Amino acid sequence: MPFTGKILLVDDEAHIRKYVGLVVRGLGAPVIFEASSGEQALALYAQESPDLVLLDVNLPGMTGVQILSGILAQDPDALVVMLTSLANRQTIEECLRLGAASYIRKDTPKEAILAELSAIVSDSPNDPAP
Amino acid sequence: MPAPAATASLLEGRSRKILVVDDDRLNRRILSRILLPEGFEAIEADSGENALELYAQKNPDLVLLDVMLPGMDGFAVCRELRTRYGAGAAPVIFITAKAGSDDVVEGLAAGGVDYLPKPIRAKEALARIHTHLQIRQLLAEQRLLVEQLSNANTAKNRFLGMAAHDLRNPLAAIRGLAELLRDGVVGTLTHDQLDLLETIHTASKQMLVLVNELLDVATIEAGELKIYPDTVDPLDLVEKAVYVANIEATTKKTKIAIVPHERPQPHVFDPNKIRQVVDNLLSNAVKYSPPGSTVQVEVESVAGSIVFAVRDQGPGIPESEHGKLFKDFGRTSVQPTGGEKSTGLGLAICRKIVEAHRGTITAENQPERGCVFRFTLPS
Repeated sequence: MPFTGKILLVDDEAHIRKYVGLVVRGLGAPVIFEASSGEQALALYAQESPDLVLLDVNLPGMTGVQILSGILAQDPDALVVMLTSLANRQTIEECLRLGAASYIRKDTPKEAILAELSAIVSDSPNDPAP
Repeated sequence: MPAPAATASLLEGRSRKILVVDDDRLNRRILSRILLPEGFEAIEADSGENALELYAQKNPDLVLLDVMLPGMDGFAVCRELRTRYGAGAAPVIFITAKAGSDDVVEGLAAGGVDYLPKPIRAKEALARIHTHLQIRQLLAEQRLLVEQLSNANTAKNRFLGMAAHDLRNPLAAIRGLAELLRDGVVGTLTHDQLDLLETIHTASKQMLVLVNELLDVATIEAGELKIYPDTVDPLDLVEKAVYVANIEATTKKTKIAIVPHERPQPHVFDPNKIRQVVDNLLSNAVKYSPPGSTVQVEVESVAGSIVFAVRDQGPGIPESEHGKLFKDFGRTSVQPTGGEKSTGLGLAICRKIVEAHRGTITAENQPERGCVFRFTLPS
């Protein structure tokens, strides 16, 4: 079933937002919101309550971990997938412990990104994570 | 450790301070009178304890040390200097009335560099002093050089890491956007447009591989290769890697197949790092096999260890070049079959990751054709 929900895409790099934005269109017909900073991301989350958040780990200003905590404070069931470039295992593990659903390396081929995200959104409809 | 001031004076050739230790005032005078006309500064100490105190204050460049001292003897003073100042301690020349006796042997064992027999002969004393000051100066220069080189190497690694890291995201975006354009996500392209796009795609893909490998090398060389062990299902890891590698392999009409075995036991290793090794071996196998080949992958539990094997259909590795295979920038004469690029870093990185797991990695030609790369992770 094509995905038609809302996706919030958070990354400070415009080219990454553009690329990942185009890739996630492959999920179906999602409505995409973009944020380039933590403040923007938290405001958009509150306003739009997206079904899926794609969140960069390394942002200037508020870090990925801080943004993740802020989103989960608003909505403990939020579905957040971390976007990473450096496989910084400690940070990723911290995000997963805090409640991120998964993580994806930005240089993964787009087919694999899409497969991972499809699995996550089809697993989750209003099914609170265990 | 040498004090910075002492190192500086050494490097400028101003090694001029000599600590003269003797309880006999007349002996100290004789030595001072030999030293002063040569431009040395003589610091006189009349006991072992006094010598240690003056050493700490004046930081001399060399010590002339009488063996027979009341209280703390010369050997004890010498040992104490070595303990306090380590390899940076000033050289100690013992003065002994009994040259040729056990005193000489014990003095050298205590860390002395030389000895002068009494009665002191001025020319001999000066010759030995000059020699040891020269050696000390050379050592200091060498130590400084090593330190400078090591700093330069650290800076290089940091720079490489930073550059690679900042290049990676934009490259990933360029490559990805080129793929999306090629796949017609935003409309159909003409044949010529597709041709140009393919060039952009290939070039950015190769650069991304190179940048990732440079980043890995920088990380490994900086001693920051950290293993985060986890309990992992090895077959699951291999299946995911094969899925992704097959996407790439289809462009060469090559297939990657997993040879069925009994399901391996869960094993403890760093899943990201081992995935990187598997990815690298798979991409190599595709790279060096002729188009249309089948690459075979195996993963098995063998006596508590886990063994991964990737079998390609390439020409194999010439016997004489096996030594190069797992070295940094160790490219062999074997060429990729589809014009792909090779940095010669991939297998060196694989080896370092496998060895960080206390495992081994090998390459072995098959009797018919092709090569098997195999790595084993112990329990």
